[in-house]
Amino acid sequence: MRRLAVLLCMLCTLNASAATYYVTVAGLGGAPEYEQRFTGEAHDLDKVFRAAGAAAHVYTLTGAQATAAQVRITLATVAQSSTAGDEFVLTLIGHGSFDGTEYKFNLPGPDLSAADLAALCDRIPAKRQLVVDTTSASGGAVAALERPGRAVITATKSGTEKNATVFARYWIEALQDPAADTDKNETLTAMEAYAYAAKKTAAFYDEQKRLATEHAVFDDTGRGEPVREAGNGQGQMLSSLTILRLGSAGAAAADPAKGALLARKEALESKIDALKYGKAAMDPGDYRQQLTAALVELARVQGELDK
Amino acid sequence: MMRAASLSALLLLCSGAAHAAPSPQACWTLHRHGQQPQAEACFTQLTRSADAYARAEGFWGLEDWQNANESFRSAAAEAGAPALVKVRWGTLFHERFNNPEAVNLFREALSQDPNRAGAYLGLATVSAEEYDGKANEYLAKAEALDPKLAAAHELAARIALENDTRELAAAEADKALALDSEATEAMAIHAALDLIADRSADAWFARIAAVNPHDGEAYQEVAHHLELHYRFTDAAAYERKAVGADPRLWSAHSALGIALMRLGEVDEPAKELEIAYNNGYRNPATVNSLRLLDSFKNFDTTRQPTTVIKLDKKENELLEPYVQAELHAILDTYSKKYSMTLSGPVQVEMYPNHEDFAVRTMGMPGLGALGVTFGQVVAMDSPSGRKPGDFNWGATLWHEMSHVFIITATNQRVPRWFTEGLAVHEEGHHQPEWADRVTPDVLAAIRDKKLLPVLKLDRGFVFPDYPQQVIVSYFQAGSMCDYISETYGEGKLLDMVHAYAAQKSTAATVQDVLGVAPEVFDTQYLAWIDKKYGAEAAHFDEWRGKLKALAAAAQAGQASTVLAQAPAVIALYPEYTGEASAYAMLADAQRDKGDSVGEVTTLTAYAHAGGSQPEMLKRLASLQEAGGDKAAAAVTLTRVLYIYPVKDADLHKHLGDLLLAEKQYDGAVREYHAVVASAPLDKAGAEYNLAQAYFAAGKRKEAEETVLLALEAAPDYRPAQKLLLQLQQGSTN
Repeated sequence: MRRLAVLLCMLCTLNASAATYYVTVAGLGGAPEYEQRFTGEAHDLDKVFRAAGAAAHVYTLTGAQATAAQVRITLATVAQSSTAGDEFVLTLIGHGSFDGTEYKFNLPGPDLSAADLAALCDRIPAKRQLVVDTTSASGGAVAALERPGRAVITATKSGTEKNATVFARYWIEALQDPAADTDKNETLTAMEAYAYAAKKTAAFYDEQKRLATEHAVFDDTGRGEPVREAGNGQGQMLSSLTILRLGSAGAAAADPAKGALLARKEALESKIDALKYGKAAMDPGDYRQQLTAALVELARVQGELDK
Repeated sequence: MMRAASLSALLLLCSGAAHAAPSPQACWTLHRHGQQPQAEACFTQLTRSADAYARAEGFWGLEDWQNANESFRSAAAEAGAPALVKVRWGTLFHERFNNPEAVNLFREALSQDPNRAGAYLGLATVSAEEYDGKANEYLAKAEALDPKLAAAHELAARIALENDTRELAAAEADKALALDSEATEAMAIHAALDLIADRSADAWFARIAAVNPHDGEAYQEVAHHLELHYRFTDAAAYERKAVGADPRLWSAHSALGIALMRLGEVDEPAKELEIAYNNGYRNPATVNSLRLLDSFKNFDTTRQPTTVIKLDKKENELLEPYVQAELHAILDTYSKKYSMTLSGPVQVEMYPNHEDFAVRTMGMPGLGALGVTFGQVVAMDSPSGRKPGDFNWGATLWHEMSHVFIITATNQRVPRWFTEGLAVHEEGHHQPEWADRVTPDVLAAIRDKKLLPVLKLDRGFVFPDYPQQVIVSYFQAGSMCDYISETYGEGKLLDMVHAYAAQKSTAATVQDVLGVAPEVFDTQYLAWIDKKYGAEAAHFDEWRGKLKALAAAAQAGQASTVLAQAPAVIALYPEYTGEASAYAMLADAQRDKGDSVGEVTTLTAYAHAGGSQPEMLKRLASLQEAGGDKAAAAVTLTRVLYIYPVKDADLHKHLGDLLLAEKQYDGAVREYHAVVASAPLDKAGAEYNLAQAYFAAGKRKEAEETVLLALEAAPDYRPAQKLLLQLQQGSTN
């Protein structure tokens, strides 16, 4: 994560003018309480994404609208509108099923299989894609959905975790709670949101003293088995994929007069990053002194940038 | 355990066991007299016998359990094998920790010979060990079939003393001795009786030694009864004597290990338990205790001059400040109240896994208790060991610490009912909301007139007649102390402590301290209970019916019906705050109708009635805060800290915010520290909040240390950057 912070900052800058396409689908509830819950969650996401600004293109399908045909039409629209430099986030809320070989997202009328969804996403030119499948049995969809350039997050580790999930609730909460932005750089990455939702989901079962029936996983390398935590190459794409910008980050980047300050800031961040990286090998007093000096300087530079 | 030695007399009754010398009975007699080399030679000879039963006894005597079992199997398979074979085989199973198989064999022996007294004795032994209440019934049958069976009277004496019916214990021990002058277990009962009454038991031990100078089992028997009378240090001392008398008594090594664990030791218990284990004594208590000792590496220990706190590493940082503060408050309060200082630090251990706590206590899982006190060691569940709302760790700690003081003040000479009653009383005395509530089981007991006379109340704890009687007895004992405090004054409870310390009986204590005969006390107490709970008890069925109807209305979403009927349901039984309480239904209905004022009133009444569901209390706090009463909200959330302070960083954050707003900076620091200790996802945010609280409290150095931690985690965190600059500016000015 230390190195990623710098990379992330660069990507934020590079992608500042790109658009993000958000497609959210609330599938078939099957019972009034689930219908209401899934629709409510989709609407909450819709609200969050629409507040993200002009670069956000938001499509939300719920209730009777959320048919396979409508999903196909919506994703085709995104495929036509988006470019390679854009980002694409597909969120699936509802029930899923897995028969041992094939995952299906339950919709009014015919369902969509993971392979169907993958094919639809493949037509979208955005080079950086994120599929967040929060349904039961969603772990069964990973193999079909994963490909380089597409990160996949699922609420369950396999297709055999078939109970209704709570992951969606905490995924949405992550997008609403500033605490999810753990590095406080005012951009919420997919990794931060995933870590928040996964931790809260685990805590839910722990507090209820219930056996956890869902274990969220992700894959962002495009191949192999999904994992629960970053490491061994997994997690890099999610850490650089911004889902939401929370504050004024990026505004300064657009001001040419602040270029020198930005460069100074970046240098200080790199210095802090290097200090933290070498902490174990440093004298504690020396580390503390150098870190304090760099942090104080960074705070001053940030103060200048904020003026 | 049914001792092999005690049963040796039974072998004389074996019609089919006539062999050429030696006989099993002769070998066991040598063993019983402590003549081990001769006994071993004798048993070895038996193993060479052509008779399978004799071989079985020989292998048993040599502790070759496997071959003993196989030989018994062969003996039992022989045509015409006497029922005694199965009795002895069953006894072997019992000795080797397999009670179900032992019971099967005793029953098979009885189906073969319904007059086999030894089989009934075997069943009684197992029943006594498992406290299933049937032991005396089996013993009566054994005694009826064989009036000369001394071992039956020894067991009856043991059961009587376990139940603290001392006269009966002495009488039964005397009967055993009249039948068998070498009945060492009966002598041990007498020795225990003397020690419990603080008399010298030397004469009894001398008699035991005359029969068998290496009789470790007699010392074990004494230790067992001392332990049941809260004499934990003495119990360990007698387990040590048992080991000294018979170093090959592996059960005593195990018992000594467990007894020392109860005194807070770790190294010596491990050594003793390993000796037992390595010599084949692998009963569940030994194995579980060894596993638990191994798990102690997962605990952190914090030592201060008057306290030792042992918590799981995962929650030590979070819980230790709360436990430490509460423990010191308790020590201050009780030291003043009881005018005494404990001789050394008190050790408190909290187990996040309830079964670890159970093993810590009993050596076995399955314990229903929340906490247990051994002298100055308290073991209890951690709040994380129970579902939120099931358990108030603060109340439990006050309860257990009361035991620490009372057991010390009385030198462990206190009846169960009084120490439990006083501990329950102390919970409510400290915090009225922690008072033991009259549960449906208690109301039913009051209604059905099942409360016990004060002189028999100990029975309700040790030998309950019905499943809920232990819970009922806790309530009764606590309410008796409440009654004494209310009617005679709180000081009388202290006088009773002194009376018990002077070794007065309950009858004498009640008479001397309260000035009434125990029977009169019972009458007055029952009248007080009737006045307090009589109406609730009388209307218990009506309440239950109305609560059911109310639940149906709530389920159907009939808020108006709930609003109309719930107050009457609550009035019938205001103490009920458990599952599906009328308070919860009424508060929900008020919320649905938008009546937040009514909702606050209902939830406040719920809290005052002892309601302990964190979600309900947090809901009350939110309403109080929304209504502008942040101070009340902080008080409400503070209640939750005593119920479920774990796995809830939001609770600590919210309470920290409230306390900061109320300028209660120390409290805010405590709560924000708890957030940091909860290993939150938002580490930077948690450290920043803590830094802010330190800053507000004027603790600039701590504030700077903490804000740097926030910025180390998130260098671009602007509020933290501003605080750092503010602190830097202050330090350079």
